Amino acid sequence: MSILGTRVHRVEDPAFLTKGGTYTDDLTDERLAGALHLTLVRSPIAHATITSIDTSAAKQAPGVVAVLTAADCDLEPVLVFDRANKKMVRPYLATDRVRFVGEPVAAVLTEHPYQGEDAAELVDVDYDPLPAVVDVEAALNGEVLLFPEAGTNVATAKGSADPGAGFFADCEVVVTKQILNQRVAPAPLETRAAAAAWDDGRYTVFCSNQNAQGTRDDLAERLGVDVADVHVILPDVGGGFGAKIGADPEYVLVAWLARRLGRPVRWSESRSENMTGLVHGRAQHQTITIGGDRDGTVKAYQLKIVGEAGAYPAFGAALPNLTGMMARGTYDIARKHSSYVSVVTNTTPTGAYRGAGRPEATQAIERAMDLFARAIGMDPADVRRKNFIAPEQFPYEITDEISYDTGEYAKALDLALRSAGYEQLRAEQARRRERGDTKLLGIGLSSYVEITAGGGASENGSVEVHPDGTVTVLTGSSPHGQGHATAWAMLAHEQLGIPMEKITVRHGDTDQIPEGAGTMGSRSLQTGGIAVHKAAGELVELAKQRAADLLEADVADLVVDKDVAAITVAGVPSARKITFAELAAQEQLRVHTEWDAGKATFPFGAHVAVVEVDAETGKAAVQRIWAVDDAGPVLNPLLFDGQRHGGIAQGIAQAMLEEVTYDEDGQPLAASFADYGIPSAAELPSFDLVGMETPTDANPLGYKGIGEAGTIGSCPAVQNAVIDAVAHLGVDHIDMPLTPVRVWTAIQQAAGGAK
Amino acid sequence: MDFFRPDSLAEALAAKAEHADAVPIAGGTDVMVELNFDHRRPAALLDLGRIVELHEHGRQDGKVRIGAAVPYARIIDELGRELPGLAMAARTVGSPQIRNRGSVGGNLGAASPAGDSHPALLAANAEVEIASIRGTRMVPVKDFYTGVKRNVLAPDELITAVHIAPATGAQQFSKVGTRNAMVIAVCAFGLALHPDQKRVGTGLGSAAPTPRPATKAEEFIATELDWESPKPLADSVLRRFGALVAEAASPIDDVRGSAAYRRHALAVLARRTLGWAWSEHLGGGRRACA
Ligand SMILES: Cc1cc2nc3c(=O)[nH]c(=O)nc-3n(C[C@H](O)[C@H](O)[C@H](O)COP(=O)(O)OP(=O)(O)OC[C@H]3O[C@@H](n4cnc5c(N)ncnc54)[C@H](O)[C@@H]3O)c2cc1C
Repeated sequence: MSILGTRVHRVEDPAFLTKGGTYTDDLTDERLAGALHLTLVRSPIAHATITSIDTSAAKQAPGVVAVLTAADCDLEPVLVFDRANKKMVRPYLATDRVRFVGEPVAAVLTEHPYQGEDAAELVDVDYDPLPAVVDVEAALNGEVLLFPEAGTNVATAKGSADPGAGFFADCEVVVTKQILNQRVAPAPLETRAAAAAWDDGRYTVFCSNQNAQGTRDDLAERLGVDVADVHVILPDVGGGFGAKIGADPEYVLVAWLARRLGRPVRWSESRSENMTGLVHGRAQHQTITIGGDRDGTVKAYQLKIVGEAGAYPAFGAALPNLTGMMARGTYDIARKHSSYVSVVTNTTPTGAYRGAGRPEATQAIERAMDLFARAIGMDPADVRRKNFIAPEQFPYEITDEISYDTGEYAKALDLALRSAGYEQLRAEQARRRERGDTKLLGIGLSSYVEITAGGGASENGSVEVHPDGTVTVLTGSSPHGQGHATAWAMLAHEQLGIPMEKITVRHGDTDQIPEGAGTMGSRSLQTGGIAVHKAAGELVELAKQRAADLLEADVADLVVDKDVAAITVAGVPSARKITFAELAAQEQLRVHTEWDAGKATFPFGAHVAVVEVDAETGKAAVQRIWAVDDAGPVLNPLLFDGQRHGGIAQGIAQAMLEEVTYDEDGQPLAASFADYGIPSAAELPSFDLVGMETPTDANPLGYKGIGEAGTIGSCPAVQNAVIDAVAHLGVDHIDMPLTPVRVWTAIQQAAGGAK
Repeated sequence: MDFFRPDSLAEALAAKAEHADAVPIAGGTDVMVELNFDHRRPAALLDLGRIVELHEHGRQDGKVRIGAAVPYARIIDELGRELPGLAMAARTVGSPQIRNRGSVGGNLGAASPAGDSHPALLAANAEVEIASIRGTRMVPVKDFYTGVKRNVLAPDELITAVHIAPATGAQQFSKVGTRNAMVIAVCAFGLALHPDQKRVGTGLGSAAPTPRPATKAEEFIATELDWESPKPLADSVLRRFGALVAEAASPIDDVRGSAAYRRHALAVLARRTLGWAWSEHLGGGRRACA
């Protein structure tokens, strides 16, 4: 029996549940002996010129070894997103100006971390406040510029906002709406941490991160040294959600300080620092316009995006491009137009966050579909069915280079609706409305398709069997909670028959594994996993070749006897068996391989959410959610469903709870967990996970990615459900998060408007 | 920073008399947040953790006396029957960790208009027992709050207990927020029926600079309720009660909600909790829940 597709418990968990993980801040590595602790003085003001910095008092404080400012730092400011306006470079420590609350201004190095907290307060920075640019309209009108030398607040832009005359001309009905995909904080449980040593001309950097090799390359470039002179090691990583990709400015600074001060340096941020220092996600202001006929045919769809890049353009500036690419969703729309402008504002920079660009696309088109359905008086399920890309249209081209691989969109929606009992739900909704029940029922649908392994579909892996029968798997895709050690061991076990407990998966050390792309964009199984699958297959072939002579048989007649992890002759029970371990004892038995699918895959699905809305208080509660998430065959349902659970929780949380807000001066208003609502079990129902498997042709096992799908599918379903609950009161849209105040206000406004 | 850790109430009161600037710390769920965010750097902390008297509850003159530092978790587990309103409020405080540490004394000490115990204490006519080396005094809870996060305590005083008569009628507590716990409520309302006194007690939270009762609503409903031969309440009465509760509020606009929303929501909470409590009264004790 194959182990693939079975519910194998995570091999990682016993250690996590007993002794706990070893995160960067826990390291006792001897290379870090005698390390100094870095405390950053961060700007309390969103936009100001720095007129002076006096570090003399701080330097006298107990335990202080050094206090450095931009004047001491020879690191070149960096254009974090390389296609942004070239003038929008970010210094590691603010030079003449600060551009967001939380921007590092000075570095305090002390023997103990708590000494740094005290000394940092003694650094006297004189700020001359400038008007803060907080909302995107102010950024676009350009009265105040964050980078006067750039002459604009636009970091990057693409496409005309005008789709051209006649774009909607033949549509019987056209609906347009401005919607906000609000700014959210990734809030990984482990905040960022880095520790670095400089020894013998070489940097060793430990950090909390999603991609060791990419971070090494970033560090080398920004520190101005050879890639060979940087060694990056990732210990356990407590979540990233896309926000821990590449070398953050703080990580570069930690490495640079280690060299400059001649002692190892450690840094671990507090939750408060994390809430303003780590990138935020989403933050797209969208205008959606959808047009079509009364029979339900959607003919034209336009998505206009103003994206918030934050104070220094990072990856977030690029994401509207991906949103535009995925704008049509699961629908075969004759005309689709998207454009975007990414602007800088005096806020925390934006970056990738679970889904990164695709949730924004899905939210927009799924809201548009509901708005259109409402305008023509058709059931939202029927409108969707009418416009789905049909199975026979695959591969379905979305750009000159990229096509959706495989999909069964109508089947997924029908399965979700059937599971939910859609007709009965609608009937119950109608009954409650008729009764004048204050507890209104809302039913929300979403259909989604997303792109996984979109940033590159290649990865490497090696499999080595040792003479003692143990196996080492090396992978370029380092995890931060996903369970690679379990999944990769299953894949190796499947072909070799060697028990899982003898298989060790190693990752995240650039000296051991010089190449690799890490874990992001739901890429790992279909790239790194397939590389291990391929390597194990090649290792079997190598073992057969070596065994052929010993067994005096033809290679073609040899098979693996998985029960004993040996090569033997097919169909000859009495034949000798030579174990992988025996072969390894004779000569190193190791295969290193590269896998490149050459293309991305497109998981899809449909979610149905049911919410109850208290019509009097506006309080909405998610009651049920049915999720069909099709990412091809499932390697391990436990890991697969785990990804869906976390994803759905974060999608619901964006719909209901989470929002990073600023006041008009650029002061963050939700910078701690007292004000920022990360989801807890109390707000979430049990999830109804419905299975469906449509393989991709991109890899031999048919796998697509599942890391982000739950977030992408659930968020629009929940938003649509809350709006659906109050739709009969005249409400057609409410921006997220759907707090009681907002829902109530929307009801009031609709009632007022109707008068 | 000095850290005092008295073993008895007498020692604590002596310490407080000598060091007026020492900040008492009970569960620490407010104090430690303030220290952590550097909102406050007290010269000294006065740890109440070892003082047995503050961690006990019992009966005194027919009332329940709850030591100031008794955590919410124990109020829920041990006093739910006698003090249902306070227990309901306690269940909505923070998370299990916070309920294991946080106390009513701390809630009163902090005197935040958003503190969840206040509406329940107001509705139940609780009295706050306050002590110093000068002696002990009792302050009705409605007179305890003097401003936003301010109370009547003199610099040498400590809260030692709250005294609450065991419920003689139905009690309710309800709040509205982005979620039910782990977030500061947008507004809250507590209600207690006092059939023995033929009156209804109320308490508003997050609706004014201080927690406060809705006196006019209490007066109105006292005349409307027929305690001798109770009958279901007319919707118009419930609504009038709600409206008077809303009038008692002087809420503000802030990031969590508008003043208009708070007023509206209070009216809804008041109407509903009165409805539930009165049906419980009529139905002989079956409790409805928000
Ligand atoms: C995550 C989190 C969630 C929370 N959620 C809620 C919530 O849902 N509802 C709510 O109401 N509160 C909430 N709080 C606030 C807090 O838990 C409560 O106010 C709690 O009642 C405080 O009790 P404590 O014993 O921890 O007080 P402490 O923090 O020890 O003290 C609070 C204040 O009272 C003073 N004080 C304490 N004891 C005495 C005494 N005996 N005499 C005089 N002064 C005294 C202290 O000096 C301090 O000023 C939350 C706090 C946190 C951290």
